[in-house]
Amino acid sequence: MKIKRLDMFQIITSPAVIFVFLLFILMLSVYLYNALPAFFREGLDVYFKNTWQASEIPSKEYYGLAAAIWGTLYSSIIGVLIALPISVAYSIFVVDYAPKKLKNVFIIISDMMAGLPTIIYGIWGAFILVPFLQKYIMIPLYKNLSFIPIFSYPPTTGYSYFSAGVLLGIMITPFASAIIREAYQMVPFTYREAAISLGLTRYEATKILLGYIKPAIVSGMILAFGRSVGETVAVSLVIGNSFNLSVSLFAPGYTISSLIANQFGNAYIYRHMLPVLYAGGLALFIIGLIVNLIGIYLLRRWQKNVRI
Amino acid sequence: MSGYKIRKGKDIVFIIVITILTFLGILPLFHIIATVFINGIPIIANKGISFLTNTLSNGGIGPAIVGTFILIFLSSLIGLPVALLVGIYAYEYPESKIGRATKTLLQIMLEFPTILVGVFVMSMIAIPMETYSAIAGAFALAIILMPYVAVYTQEAMREILFTYREASFGLGLSRVKVIFRILVPLSKRGILTGVLIGLAKVAGETAPLLFTVGGLYESYPTSIMKPVGAIPLLIYTLVQSPSKADHMMAWGASLILLLIFLLIFIPIRLKLKEVRL
Repeated sequence: MKIKRLDMFQIITSPAVIFVFLLFILMLSVYLYNALPAFFREGLDVYFKNTWQASEIPSKEYYGLAAAIWGTLYSSIIGVLIALPISVAYSIFVVDYAPKKLKNVFIIISDMMAGLPTIIYGIWGAFILVPFLQKYIMIPLYKNLSFIPIFSYPPTTGYSYFSAGVLLGIMITPFASAIIREAYQMVPFTYREAAISLGLTRYEATKILLGYIKPAIVSGMILAFGRSVGETVAVSLVIGNSFNLSVSLFAPGYTISSLIANQFGNAYIYRHMLPVLYAGGLALFIIGLIVNLIGIYLLRRWQKNVRI
Repeated sequence: MSGYKIRKGKDIVFIIVITILTFLGILPLFHIIATVFINGIPIIANKGISFLTNTLSNGGIGPAIVGTFILIFLSSLIGLPVALLVGIYAYEYPESKIGRATKTLLQIMLEFPTILVGVFVMSMIAIPMETYSAIAGAFALAIILMPYVAVYTQEAMREILFTYREASFGLGLSRVKVIFRILVPLSKRGILTGVLIGLAKVAGETAPLLFTVGGLYESYPTSIMKPVGAIPLLIYTLVQSPSKADHMMAWGASLILLLIFLLIFIPIRLKLKEVRL
């Protein structure tokens, strides 16, 4: 067997790489280890039951994260549904129709939105967006269409899945836009020429070109979903923080991350709450890991195909 | 020819829809900036310079501002060296198994829920130390900073022409010298962008600080082993308070945070073409 000669370069850089890998593994193990007592005590009820009985008598304590998991998925899906049309439209507009001078301005705006501190979205969401949505969207819909289950909850405060979803949509749009715009820019010019020379209208040509970047749109949406699943402070300021499990858009709810943000501080008072919160963290960890891996994998596969 | 008219009509509708959606997408940014200024300026004008220096009960956010800068500084100190080394490694071995895994890991960490980092650091540092501290917060922020800087480093170095590499190795330099003496300095502008983007991100993070720094708003920090405050964390606390006066303070603090963000962000944009956060 040949002994590989380590050169100076590897001696300098490898420790950092190993450190980062170990850190990530350590993080996963910390969540697993700390969540174990919850699994032993409650089994899968931790994830599938909607109950939150905090009590000073340990035997009466019982917790289930179903409402938080539901809220996380529900609000993120609303966010993605809002982000999808806007980010696709933005990409088409910026690449195809924006005047050359404005193109860069649009890109800067989008980048700025992606980088803006999330707490600023949070304060704007809580004080401006929620009252606006409540007044102009929730109340009219509730008044006229409350027989439809998703509109059936009275929007008394406005803090709801819907508000969280809209805010998430605004926050993840620039992020999805960046991925889709880059992909749309990469469409070979000959395809555009071919489409136009067939006499297609701009709408028809765009439709064909969009088909070409479909995988990139899908992975952009998946990555945006991953990002909104993990969003904490902005969401926790607008979702209402209550243990609901409802399909009604206007009902207040919880997300895993806002639950951790809200309950972690006082979880030490109780005997069995902390492991449950770690179990929630573990769920978030694994959802985030899987979603991002799929998104990254799809995007890379598409990029590879395009480059040829 | 009615078929043509329908197609033409669809085309016009399409353009209109695209334009409206695009403007709908970017409208929030203008509205956010405008509301932060409109709500933030009165409170700052009212309190004057003391808003930046006083403690919270005296109507200022001085300790939070200092705390934020301490956290930015400490987290760069911890995170940047690791980030640069990892980024350089990922550049040097793009096709090897470890190199590819490193890149995937970086991308996952880029998207990672930041609250999980906060809880992790709490259980690793804050609990053993038995106190919240600036150093714990800095560790959490360093973990968030690291992938941004590493990914940008790697991409900045990938843009260097291959001939430079060939020429450097052709001179008979060792790999260490080629990379650290020639390729890294060549891409320093791209790397600097990555660093600034990382800092902009770290300056505005709230979730990782929730259970690590503790918060300190009534006196200035004295030690990095003790709790500190941070502007985003302060805003988060103030927004949740029922008092109107606290909300006013939150808007003022948001304006300061926004200005810090713009201060870091604008130089990046003036110098460089494309930035992805």
